[in-house]
Amino acid sequence: MIELPIIEAPEAAGASSSQQRFWRSFAHLRKDPAFAEIAQHEFMPGATDPPSGASRRQFLQLLGASMAMAGLSACRRPVETILPYAQKPEEIIPGIPLFYATAMPFRGVASPLLVESHEGRPTKIEGNPQHPSAQGATGLFEQASILNLYDPDRSSTIRRDGDAVTWDDFVAFCGQFTGGAAGKRVVVLSEETSSPTALALAQQLGQAFGQFQWVTYRAEGEDAEKLGMQQAFGSPYRPQYEFGQAQVIVSLDADFLGPTARNFVHATRSFAEGRRLSSAQDTMSRLYMVESAYSVTGGMADHRKRLRSSEVPAFAAALAAQLGVGGMGRAGGQFDADPFLAAVAADLQAAGAQGMVLAGETQSPEVHALCAAINSTLGSIGTTMTLIDTGEQSVTPQADDLAQLAQDMNAGTVDALVIIGANPVYDAPPDLNFRAAMTQVAETIHVGFHVDETASAARWHLPRAHYLEAWGDARAYDGTLSVIQPLIAPLYGDAHSEIEVLSALATGEDKAGYDLVRETWRNASPPPIAEPFEEGWRQVLHDGFVPNTAYPTTTAAAQPVTLTPAASPGDLEIVFRLDPTVFDGSYANNAWCQELPDPITKVVWDNVAVMSPQTASDLGVSSEYSEGRYYSDLVILSFDGRGVELPVWIVPGHADGSISVTLGYGRAIASTRDERTSPFWDTDDKTDVYGHGALATGIGGNMAALRNNVAAPVGTVEVEPTGRKYRVVTTQDHGTLDVEARPLFRVGTYDEYRQDPSFAMEMEAPTPGEDEKVGFEEYPTLWETRHPAVEAAMRDSSYYRNQWGMVIDLNTCTGCGACIVACQSENNVQVVGKDEVGNGRELHWLRLDRYFISHGDETLSDNPQMVLQPMPCQHCENAPCESVCPVAATVHSPDGTNQMIYNRCIGTRYCANNCPYKVRRFNYFNWVKTLPETVHMAQNPNVTVRSRGVMEKCSFCIQRVRGAQKRAGLEERALADGEVVTACQQACPAQAITFGDLNDPNSAVSQQKHNSRNYEMLAELNIKPRVSYLARVQNTNASLGSGEA
Amino acid sequence: MSTVHESASLTPHGGDGHHEDPPLVTGNLGFHEITQLVSYHTEKRPPSTWYMAFAVSSTLLFVLLVMIAYLFWNGVGVWGNNNPVGWGWPIVNFVFWVGIGHAGTLISAILYLFRQKWRTAINRSAEAMTIFAVICALLFPTIHVGRVWVIYWTLPIPNQMEMWPQFKSPLLWDVFAVSVYFTVSLIFWYVGLVPDLATLRDRARTALRRRLTGFFALGWTGANRHWRNYEKAYLLLAALATPLVLSVHSVVSFDFAVSIVPGWHTTIFPPYFVAGAIFSGFAMVMTLLIIARKIYGIENIITMDHLEKMAIIILVTGTMVGFAYITEFFIAWYSQVEYEQYAFLNRSTGPYAWAYWTMMSCNLLFPQFFWIKRLRRSIPFLFVTSIIVNIGMWFERFVITVTSLHRDFLPSSWDYFNPTLVDVLTLIGSFGLFMTLFLIFLRFLPMVAMAEIKMVLPEADPHYYDDHGDGHAGHAAPSPTGQTEGAEGA
Repeated sequence: MIELPIIEAPEAAGASSSQQRFWRSFAHLRKDPAFAEIAQHEFMPGATDPPSGASRRQFLQLLGASMAMAGLSACRRPVETILPYAQKPEEIIPGIPLFYATAMPFRGVASPLLVESHEGRPTKIEGNPQHPSAQGATGLFEQASILNLYDPDRSSTIRRDGDAVTWDDFVAFCGQFTGGAAGKRVVVLSEETSSPTALALAQQLGQAFGQFQWVTYRAEGEDAEKLGMQQAFGSPYRPQYEFGQAQVIVSLDADFLGPTARNFVHATRSFAEGRRLSSAQDTMSRLYMVESAYSVTGGMADHRKRLRSSEVPAFAAALAAQLGVGGMGRAGGQFDADPFLAAVAADLQAAGAQGMVLAGETQSPEVHALCAAINSTLGSIGTTMTLIDTGEQSVTPQADDLAQLAQDMNAGTVDALVIIGANPVYDAPPDLNFRAAMTQVAETIHVGFHVDETASAARWHLPRAHYLEAWGDARAYDGTLSVIQPLIAPLYGDAHSEIEVLSALATGEDKAGYDLVRETWRNASPPPIAEPFEEGWRQVLHDGFVPNTAYPTTTAAAQPVTLTPAASPGDLEIVFRLDPTVFDGSYANNAWCQELPDPITKVVWDNVAVMSPQTASDLGVSSEYSEGRYYSDLVILSFDGRGVELPVWIVPGHADGSISVTLGYGRAIASTRDERTSPFWDTDDKTDVYGHGALATGIGGNMAALRNNVAAPVGTVEVEPTGRKYRVVTTQDHGTLDVEARPLFRVGTYDEYRQDPSFAMEMEAPTPGEDEKVGFEEYPTLWETRHPAVEAAMRDSSYYRNQWGMVIDLNTCTGCGACIVACQSENNVQVVGKDEVGNGRELHWLRLDRYFISHGDETLSDNPQMVLQPMPCQHCENAPCESVCPVAATVHSPDGTNQMIYNRCIGTRYCANNCPYKVRRFNYFNWVKTLPETVHMAQNPNVTVRSRGVMEKCSFCIQRVRGAQKRAGLEERALADGEVVTACQQACPAQAITFGDLNDPNSAVSQQKHNSRNYEMLAELNIKPRVSYLARVQNTNASLGSGEA
Repeated sequence: MSTVHESASLTPHGGDGHHEDPPLVTGNLGFHEITQLVSYHTEKRPPSTWYMAFAVSSTLLFVLLVMIAYLFWNGVGVWGNNNPVGWGWPIVNFVFWVGIGHAGTLISAILYLFRQKWRTAINRSAEAMTIFAVICALLFPTIHVGRVWVIYWTLPIPNQMEMWPQFKSPLLWDVFAVSVYFTVSLIFWYVGLVPDLATLRDRARTALRRRLTGFFALGWTGANRHWRNYEKAYLLLAALATPLVLSVHSVVSFDFAVSIVPGWHTTIFPPYFVAGAIFSGFAMVMTLLIIARKIYGIENIITMDHLEKMAIIILVTGTMVGFAYITEFFIAWYSQVEYEQYAFLNRSTGPYAWAYWTMMSCNLLFPQFFWIKRLRRSIPFLFVTSIIVNIGMWFERFVITVTSLHRDFLPSSWDYFNPTLVDVLTLIGSFGLFMTLFLIFLRFLPMVAMAEIKMVLPEADPHYYDDHGDGHAGHAAPSPTGQTEGAEGA
């Protein structure tokens, strides 16, 4: 603003006294004040007064300045204070993440991890690449567990009888309680654990209290495998299956590739080894699947037989008889003339020690024992079935322990019950009436993440520390000892780990978890760490595990087992399984898991009663698809007078007369957060998944009510339609894929592959204008004679040296879903909730497309093949999305990726329309506006959190690419192959995803691109995708038809 | 009627009218009656029906504004758009309104160049309708983007980011095509208005009215020079607007045709869209004029012959559109491309078959009744058909946009589009905007181009001889064309 000089009026005319004076009156001459006053107001009141307050000029100046300042303030972001470290912790460089090795306890085994931490905030979980059983991979639950840490509904305070108390109060209580301990009976009801410290504390508790009992609680029911092994071998050896060594694998309702499998990473990895084909000379295993409900394992099967879970024992018995397994006579039965059984038996016989039979969690211990006996007969124990001696002497059925415990509790003989990680009020068999039994116990202490069903029934509730917040230890499936080291102090000061609670109870003193773990390790015999302890300990903290601490393996011959298949459970069986997305309910409050579609049904945010089309029509129920929405019949499933309402869901390939349900829904978790209320013109109420209490509360039905007193995985059920409809939301419509017409997922038999290794390419439609296929380097485009990528500006970029590409092997990808959650965690992909998924607005950058294939044979429509296909952005060379954006918000990078420039995007959505793969995702609302603060902490600081109105999609984890390039640049070297790993690739336990530099002829991805099975989806559109697929090869048995018996 | 025809006049309006043609203006109106008949409506209190219509349409306009505010506050998610169907109703409405906006300029420009004199009765209101329809059309692509506050990035404005828009994108072509069309249509309309505004000025009774109309009349006096310049400007603008009529909708069709989506990627789109646009535009003109001519009592100016001519154009363009629909099917089959074939099979038999068959029957079937002359001249039938045609044309855009997107290449991504209440109210609200503007036009501006219609009166013919001697055009001493103005007065 121009400052104009303000001309001051002269002081007063009379001031210049040196001149002649003129005066009018004596008063004037005397300078009488009264005269001065009159003179001043000579003309009119106020006329000669100086303006009071601001002058016109000042006013205008102020006005201008305030306008300018008001404008300025609108350009500024809100002030955020960034405090530098006064004392910089060692190793921390702001902006450079650190990685710590730790482990996650999962189903009683450790999952070894490497966790990324940004300035003390864990953000991303990877498998520990050095660990023999993880080899860098993880399952989806490990990936999702980071969000459990930041769960806004986590319990934050210790409660006694519902009132908040302090940890000191609890320790004081423990001191009192242990005082007269001698006669007291204390029971710990714990989730499965492999922690040596917990076991040591159990011993300590045993010494402290007169009567002490440790009861292991599994929500899903009996550990049939362990009991079966005990039955077969006399000791509960732990079987580890080496699928990579097997030629013939027979799975009896065993979903060993499913994400809930305890040894998931190893099983998937070794199975993939047996399926990987790099040339036509390679051999591959053959998988026979007998199951009631379609599973991801069933999707990988070469031959699949749908059979009710309750009939699987009979099948196992018939198979054993066919193979001449001791103890099994050739009893006449329903499978005598079954060609499938005959083929399986013949194949197994031929495979001998390379054959393998395994039973699933839905099967009884006897079936597991019988499978062990078959393997023993085949000679595969020690080759494809390794027995691990965990040192456990014997196991008792959990049902007996629980029944005894409930009886004791009701009798009032239990003085204290400590519940760790288990939620029996929610999922124990209803016959036990656990809630009522808990009231008969003087001191019930619940240690858990949430104020959940059991917490509300317990006297004491102690918030449990997440494994990333507390010290601990655990053993991997093979027994390798891992340390669980925290990456962050507990988000809520009251949170403690279970070992700290147990120790307080045992000693009456407060002891830190760190000391407890170290104490156990020091005192263990044999000591896991060689002296000097501190040095070894530091190494363990670095590695995350202690090498060579695996349990010994053993071989034993299985005793002959006589299996008399139980009577069939009537017309309709119900099978309970762990949920492939929310597990037993412990992941139910995890938004990523709720929004992750079930791999088979693709249902999100619900559990459903899955059945075959035939069963549904027999029951007179349906799931109607109308105008993009599924309205399923609500049915009441009832057993023993108890009923649960659930929507039906129909899946082809499901066994008739069987209903499959998953556990983990129908939770009741208390939340301390306020209900969101926003004005009527605001949609935040609708779009905020966190706005209405705990996520898990009120979603789906709790299946515990339908379980019998031993929580058997297979039971009977009655189904009664309610006549009401319920909207089920999926990420995908139903529909079979006509492979001939749309060769999106290409599959051929092993024989076809041997004869014609490039069968996948022959399924391709001709590309217009091109006589032969050209590589990614050549880009005929409509627009330029030369592709922009070869222009000088691109070539001069140092990024040009690397040309990124990806190959996904459909022969090893099982479709478990770990990649989706890994992508979500790495790339800050937001959750939109059930309604918005129903509106087709889910944001997953990577999805698993599920297709049923009927091979043109309509008789197979009841039992089609099911395949899953990962679908990230294909990063087309001639990207159709790029040319249609009016503002150039999506462009090609010099290194060949298709990039989304969020801050340039105006949201026309034209790119998404023009994407033939439909991988682009639009932010229809501002999904991050209402995120709770803790969930903000789970976001990756290296990736933009997208706001409303912009498009997003898979970026090939560009932040990782650039990070690796930066590192290589600083070290003045070329990038090595395998240095850049995308999040999906890193998580994939099957190593089905290969990513790397296409410019490097020796890179793994270049090699894979030359695999004869390589094909590009929709290549005929001449869009030149950078992602290609290796066609599925099915190792079918010639004596059976394709796909099914 | 004139009995002698010698050489044609050199002006386009000179009127060497074929004597066998029925008169374009019935009721034997003279110049003054026409001035009176048309100007009167801008001067008197509007009829009560006008107030009722204005109340309804401004309410709908308010609904539109509320919907836009709601949209801007919350985001595009308030509509039914989803992942495969990135474009829903807003784009359907955009194409629909752009299509409507075709008739006006077609009538003004192309028919002008083809010396179709009957256009003079309807061109003013058709042009006004065009401008208002294009305003409605421009609204939709603007509000449909995710981040409306940066919509100006689509314009080639030099900026500190040194970023230009992406000229390969058909959406950008749209921005240019539609805004150029709007600008040229507006100028064309305004230029045509100048002599009539001068008439209003000369008739004005209040100072304000005189000043306002005088300001916009640009000092028009009806001098020969003015007329000469006017005629030249009009001719040039007509020549400029003519290719635009064809290009705008061709460019709009590129939004679809340039993409690779089966059902969009079709070379037939440009002509087919243009034909469809003329089809729907004429239907909209007909709907509006059937009401307006009745209420304002100008049946003698906008005669049954005018309506019949429009009906014939609707018949022709409707048949062209229908032919295009059938050709698309043939080409899909002939291409032997699975995705193309499925896209068209899905249109006619899939979940949106109802929309497809609505489109087919409204656009192909109903106009065929216009082969019958009796129906072409039946006001109720014309009115109903004109509305049906526009329903059909809205569905055509819906069918093209939504049914192609909802099932494309990958069956895994197939989904369905459900509009929300906000979608519906926004469409209805856009009619509010259109009708409000149109009612304001009817209230304040002459709805018929008085100067032009006078040019096609027999009296305007220099060779006119007043057979009947009814004194309406003087006695065999036709005044020069220019003098039809100015001299009129109140």
